[in-house]
Amino acid sequence: MKRLSFFKALRPSEAIEDEVELDITPLMNIFIILVAFLISMAIFTKLAIVEFSLPPNVDSTMNTSDQKPAPKLTVRLDKNYIGIVLGDALLDSLPVADNAYPFDSLAARLMVRSNENDYKGEIVVASVDQVSFKLIVHAMDICRNSGFEKVGLSSATSDPGAGQ
Amino acid sequence: MKPRDLHKGIEKGGVFRPQLTSLVDIMVMLLFFLIQSFSIEGNLVTPSTDLELPVSNATKNPEPFCNLHITRTQVLVDDIVTVTNEKIAASQDFLIPELFKMMKAQKAKNNDPLSKGKLLIQADKEIPFAIVKKVMYTCSKAGFDDFKVLVVQEE
Repeated sequence: MKRLSFFKALRPSEAIEDEVELDITPLMNIFIILVAFLISMAIFTKLAIVEFSLPPNVDSTMNTSDQKPAPKLTVRLDKNYIGIVLGDALLDSLPVADNAYPFDSLAARLMVRSNENDYKGEIVVASVDQVSFKLIVHAMDICRNSGFEKVGLSSATSDPGAGQ
Repeated sequence: MKPRDLHKGIEKGGVFRPQLTSLVDIMVMLLFFLIQSFSIEGNLVTPSTDLELPVSNATKNPEPFCNLHITRTQVLVDDIVTVTNEKIAASQDFLIPELFKMMKAQKAKNNDPLSKGKLLIQADKEIPFAIVKKVMYTCSKAGFDDFKVLVVQEE
């Protein structure tokens, strides 16, 4: 008696012999389309903005009041040192060694200074002309991390004692 | 897989099927990586290619304001070269006339009350403060009073 072909196809020995192969071509097609789309929408470098204020006499809205403004805590970035200044008084001086600015020490000192007195969260970063922009941005970051929310940017003279 | 197995199908007169498993693995990993860095908003501000932005831990998202680029060689406003850094450095005056004229025009052009007077500065990280200072001073004299600096967010 001849067997029906239906039973022949379901014989277990033959099913094991021929491995079942998944057709992954449509999956690959979807992957390729998805990868192209995601690459176009991916952000590899996240951007942000740093906000700061300028001194009132530089701003377009000029400071017209005759009163002398209250001195603010200032971080002075010089070629050879970082100074923490209040008015005319130099509170801290952190020397630059081998062109490496002591930003860790600055963070520690700012923490101490912010606990000593209430500066209303205001600080000014004053830099001399030769200092590169990345160091100024880094100093502003440290000020913000030390609890000073309002960071101002100003320029410092190369010779701070010249006016005295 | 033995090398002989690769040719098994061909020898039998069938179709050669390459092994796609490793390719699928790579695709899945790539997909996960790209989904992780996916952003619906995208970057509203495109950083200039000819400058390297400073790194900061600031988290505020950038907004499209009037753009000013300070590259290592020149200052550009809306991708138009306005003045060279050499000229700015050589000048004794804080005010840069070419830039002042350009920024005045930019200020007059902008009628949006939300972004009027706001300036987004993209400055190279190695630029000395002397250049940045003069640019900012000139811009403030031209009527810009709210300055923001574009930075690369720290990982």
